[in-house]
Amino acid sequence: MAYLELNVLNNSQTPMAMGIDLGTTFSLAAVMRDGRPVILHPEGGSGSVPSVIHFPEHGPPAVGRAARDQALADPTHTVFSVKRYMGRGLADCEADRERLPYRVTETEHGVAQVDIRGKSYTPQELSALILMRVHDLGCRALGGDDVRRAVITVPAYFDDAQRQATRDAARLAGLELLRIINEPTAASLAYGLDQREDGIVAVYDLGGGTFDISILSIEDGVFRVLATAGDTRLGGDDFDALLVDLARRELAAELDEQALRDPAFLQGARLAAERCKRELSIHPQAELHISIPSSGVQWRRTVSRAEFDAWSAPLIERTLHCCAKALADAKLDAKAIDEVVLVGGSTRSPLVRSEVAKYFGRLPHTELNPDEVVALGAAIQGHILVGGTRDILLLDVTPLSLGVETMGGAISVLVPRNSTVPCSVTEGFTTYADNQTGIEFHVLQGERELAQDCRSLARFTLKGIPPMPAGMARVAVRFHLDADGVLTVKAREESTGATAEIEVQPTHGLTDAEVETMLRDSYAHAQEDFDKRRLADLRTELGVMLQATEKNLAVARAELDPESWAELETALEAARGAAESSDVLATQALRDGLERASTPLAALLMDSVAKSALRDRTLDEV
Amino acid sequence: MSPCPQDAHCPQCPHCNGALETPLACSTCGALLSVAPETPPHLILDMELAWACADDDLQRNHRRFSRMVHPDFYATAAPAERELAEHNSALLNSAYDILADDLTRAEWLLEHLGGPTDKEERQMPQEFLMEVMDWNETLAAHACGQSSDEDLDSLRRDLHARRAAVAADLGRHLDPLPEPGAPALLEVRRLLNAARYIERSLEHAAADQA
Repeated sequence: MAYLELNVLNNSQTPMAMGIDLGTTFSLAAVMRDGRPVILHPEGGSGSVPSVIHFPEHGPPAVGRAARDQALADPTHTVFSVKRYMGRGLADCEADRERLPYRVTETEHGVAQVDIRGKSYTPQELSALILMRVHDLGCRALGGDDVRRAVITVPAYFDDAQRQATRDAARLAGLELLRIINEPTAASLAYGLDQREDGIVAVYDLGGGTFDISILSIEDGVFRVLATAGDTRLGGDDFDALLVDLARRELAAELDEQALRDPAFLQGARLAAERCKRELSIHPQAELHISIPSSGVQWRRTVSRAEFDAWSAPLIERTLHCCAKALADAKLDAKAIDEVVLVGGSTRSPLVRSEVAKYFGRLPHTELNPDEVVALGAAIQGHILVGGTRDILLLDVTPLSLGVETMGGAISVLVPRNSTVPCSVTEGFTTYADNQTGIEFHVLQGERELAQDCRSLARFTLKGIPPMPAGMARVAVRFHLDADGVLTVKAREESTGATAEIEVQPTHGLTDAEVETMLRDSYAHAQEDFDKRRLADLRTELGVMLQATEKNLAVARAELDPESWAELETALEAARGAAESSDVLATQALRDGLERASTPLAALLMDSVAKSALRDRTLDEV
Repeated sequence: MSPCPQDAHCPQCPHCNGALETPLACSTCGALLSVAPETPPHLILDMELAWACADDDLQRNHRRFSRMVHPDFYATAAPAERELAEHNSALLNSAYDILADDLTRAEWLLEHLGGPTDKEERQMPQEFLMEVMDWNETLAAHACGQSSDEDLDSLRRDLHARRAAVAADLGRHLDPLPEPGAPALLEVRRLLNAARYIERSLEHAAADQA
């Protein structure tokens, strides 16, 4: 079956691009095949890769199912929900830290990172590991085609720093990123293909860690996003946390503070909570069962759906506030919505479904698998980007207003939220002092009026302004949000025409130089990992050879010619010392040397084995 | 595409001499074209220079021209062409944003006709002053929990009604378009100053609710 599909693929002329849904809890890939998007999965497998990374004591990190299986046994070296920390700093992770079984720190440029086995990993590097795994599995499902071009989805409400971090992750994973697209928009593409009807659509996307609501109009194959709103820190994880908190609360009498913070307990409680939550979507009650073998904790508690609904109501209320905001920005009311589409695993919750239906006054669409629809849409967008079709066009918006900090610490908005991207604005700046050759400005994203309440994206320093009296310089700065929603800034001094140089200092992002270094390091590490594995293999081989040779030493001494015997003795001597060597080439040489020196002995033994096998047989029996 | 009338000045594509509907790209040969950044929005979107702006036409042209210049169709093109697609697409989108909204369109027409800026004329129509104070009071009361969500809802309805009324007033002054420097432009400025207060109050009301 797999081969049959492979042939069809190889016959098609259009180049391929992989659509990748890089999710908080799991990730998956899809491609366009015979005019339809299909999820890529290995034969018999589901194709979804848990977004989990495990760092074993030796060897390269494991990603996906194998990593998730380690969560309980090795909690402090198993990383979850990396997406929550993309483009974020340490202060942003504060609320989560108590629940995290590993240490979170920050780079000197304010990028959050986790410390595992004495090494620090930024969310960009961790996401790159997940991307590589998803990509690798996807390529295998395609029969080995190396499809490097990719479209990666992000929550619509991701800001510039989070998008930039996703771009950097793709680069670290060695992918050619054609476009970042918004998850709800991707979902609408997948549905739009099925329905082919014009109208106004609301996409309600409650994923593992993020919530988005997008309002789109679909007309003549153009999907125009009218408005989007959301919360990048609201998702299934938060519903799990309700149950984890319940366990911590009710176990407080039995367990001390330290036991409640024990990494194994935290991971175990998290996994149990997730299981219980899923059960509650199907049954009126479910058991929250926490079992931690390492500390002997055994705890059961029946949770009714009514209880869970009461606890989760405020979270759903928050999503509905976002819906109201998006509708207001689209200048529509809920009645104007023709179709409602549910996306994200968390929309399996009956309470979410009923509340959304009530809010929009219509039954939402759930025909497509809410876990797969985003990747399917990304594959369609990938198909458009490689020139596969011109029938469909996405016009998306920037979710947050973009501005610069003014002298008084307020924000002056340059690009209002929900502007269609790409878009650019040119703003004039001037000098405040005579012969001032540089201007610094602070770019922010957010809806609050004070700069300190908005998200700091970066500080830009304009350099190389020709010396002139204060206020004479006219620097035109062009802010451009590209189709990915990522900001670039260019500046020109207008009186002299000089292109001013811009130095970018991202607030919670990696500089180009840092990404370069990581790329170099990862190549170096790949070599290192390879070497470690090779060394381990060589030592095992040597061990087996040594054992076999030593067992037959008596035969060797008695029957080998003196020259071969001397050579074997020397090689054995050297090989016995190999256990201490960490040099791959030297170990390889020892292994090869022993193999060569033991060949005469092997021949001798083969002869004697042959002889003994033949001893009791007549020639015609052989 | 209808042929160019003999007596009119019709822009032509530098590559194939086809008549241009938009300066951003040629619909005949498909070439992306280099455009001056200050090109007026109505030229970019092939709309008339007028207050009236039929939403259907505007959206249709935006969709059609987007299909000609959007970076999605140049994702694997040479970097220079990709850059031009980004640039032209951005111009198209800002032109659309200006024309699609009554207030931004009025603001642009005012500037185009040489009317006063918001720094040269800060006043707004008298009747608004009292209203602005009322709005602020309701918002302040709600912020410290002294008024209900219903009050906020009714404020929001009022604000939307006022916004629509301002747009209608703007139409009376701008249709037909006055001469550059005409006294009507001062009124337009004042109405737009009032509109800005309405917008800001609406923002506050929305932020308060969330």
